[in-house]
Amino acid sequence: MDTPILGLRREHLRRLQNADGGWGYFAGKQSWFEPTAYATLALYGDKESAGAVAGAWRLLRSWQLADGGWKPAAHIENSTWVTALGVTLCTVLEEYGRPFDSGLRWLLRTTGAESSLSFRVREMAGLADLGRSTKFRGWPWGGGAASWVEPTAHSLVALKKAAVRRPGGEIRTRIDEGERLLTTVRARDGGWNYGSPSVLGIELPSYPETTALALLGLQEHTPVGALERLRRLEGGAPSRLADAWASISMSAVGEVSGCRPPRAAPADLMIAALEALAAPGGNAGLFRTHPAKAERTT
Amino acid sequence: MSSDVTRRMVLPVSAAAMLAGYAGITGKGTSDSKARWVAPQARSHVAIVRAESYSGDLAMRIREGIRECGLQVRGKTILLKPNLVEFDSSTAINTDVALVAAALDVFRSLGAADVRIGEGPGHRRDTYDLAEQAGYRGGIARFDDLFTDLNRDDVSEMHGFADEPSMFFPNTALKADLIVSLPKMKTHHWAGATLSMKNLFGLVPGSVYGWPKNKLHWIGIDRSIFELNRNFRRTFAIVDGVIGMEGNGPIQGTPKKCGALVMGPDLAAVDATCCRIMGIDPEKLEYLRMAAAIGNVAESRIEQRGEKISAVRTNFELSPNFKKVRL
Repeated sequence: MDTPILGLRREHLRRLQNADGGWGYFAGKQSWFEPTAYATLALYGDKESAGAVAGAWRLLRSWQLADGGWKPAAHIENSTWVTALGVTLCTVLEEYGRPFDSGLRWLLRTTGAESSLSFRVREMAGLADLGRSTKFRGWPWGGGAASWVEPTAHSLVALKKAAVRRPGGEIRTRIDEGERLLTTVRARDGGWNYGSPSVLGIELPSYPETTALALLGLQEHTPVGALERLRRLEGGAPSRLADAWASISMSAVGEVSGCRPPRAAPADLMIAALEALAAPGGNAGLFRTHPAKAERTT
Repeated sequence: MSSDVTRRMVLPVSAAAMLAGYAGITGKGTSDSKARWVAPQARSHVAIVRAESYSGDLAMRIREGIRECGLQVRGKTILLKPNLVEFDSSTAINTDVALVAAALDVFRSLGAADVRIGEGPGHRRDTYDLAEQAGYRGGIARFDDLFTDLNRDDVSEMHGFADEPSMFFPNTALKADLIVSLPKMKTHHWAGATLSMKNLFGLVPGSVYGWPKNKLHWIGIDRSIFELNRNFRRTFAIVDGVIGMEGNGPIQGTPKKCGALVMGPDLAAVDATCCRIMGIDPEKLEYLRMAAAIGNVAESRIEQRGEKISAVRTNFELSPNFKKVRL
């Protein structure tokens, strides 16, 4: 049965679904892949929401491009990082047909611009410097940009879930490199900033949301001290987004977050969906990529 | 929203943008856009007004600057674009809420048809909580109704941005008759200084390009600053130099009191003036060298109004990699 917060958020999401089946970042705005994917995951398995989930998937499925990637919104004809969410959705909805395979292939061949031959040549000639190791391949937000923590973490979740159905060397290699990249860019304080641990030699602090996402990507073997760092970051930034990701991430590693969202739903529908996922009884476990551990109560 | 509605929305946006002078939205390529790179024929007016603190009458100061620059806003839709970067409210990272609130009052009182506030922070995604922490929600009445998260607004396509086939920008910015850039006066470890021109990075939607907007770094930070300002031409700047940031800006630097607001319709001229106030040679910053194609950077091409530069000049500590640009 829904807990009060979960029920409230799910009702809120159903009420604000766009006519095309998607959700905007805010009520009444155009549908985007990202909030639609999170809302679909948040409503998945809820009897009252079956129609909403089916409508959302119809829309998202129609947004897959010929190259196998997914576009972020109806009128943007470029495949982006949201493809990771698309592949994760396929595994949750058990849609293992062509959309799944072509999305998976897109993820396997997509890398940050720092992995391109031209960048590597310029880097070796001393003409380019990303300020961090470029040895391992991760995932960018979109074409023509470097790998960053958030798209890499989502891609790792997608590949690990996909690997259950499509095991193989190529997928294992990308998972391994993606994990190594996240480990490489870990901030000195034990968490994660958005991409690099330092700029021009000056250390950057970690953030709760990116630390939570990195942990989600690395959940099978959480680096020593990372969970403790996330616990210290929790509530440090007054951010509902950060709180929701921290709860989801902790759930994935069998921990319980101390964050509790306010009763009132946020205007931001993406955060509303993440709070539904993070709520007690919610679907945070859909991001789990390993057998569930018993949750510990803090 | 249906694709039908999207199409109906985009067409008037494109038309409005053409009328408003957005160079790239016409659907023409970069080479065609280059034909419209026109630096001002006349000297640019830049007003410097003293503002010793945020508790003073900032509205009066802004009015003074607007009057000096001859800006007319009656009947226009205006987008105020402050610089919201980080949750840390103990330092001078974000444009002070008092300045944004004062600008809102001034533009309304001058007869603007509509005044909105919009920002698309570069790396923190939770924009409303960021605004809360910066005091915007408490300090500006009905803030949530006035504010648009430009990272996650509805977007339309623009052609002619650098060498990209197209770029997407928020409709709130594309539809505005005037974008008022309200940056903090700060040093910047990649660009030397971050002022009214760099502040337009916040118009690039994270929903398409991510957090941070790393694509702009690969296009080139200086080039991207130039391209944004070449494409968004109906602009005015009010730079928050009451307390700026020196050293390792734009985030990890230290507060620096300057006690001035710098205003004008030519953002290149405003930034060049700010640099001279900060003790930076603007002609040694790459983005301002590029900006000379669309605005006035040379001191001889800028008509200073209000205070003289020498009256408010205070050398900002520079990032180590920009020591050579000291004026």
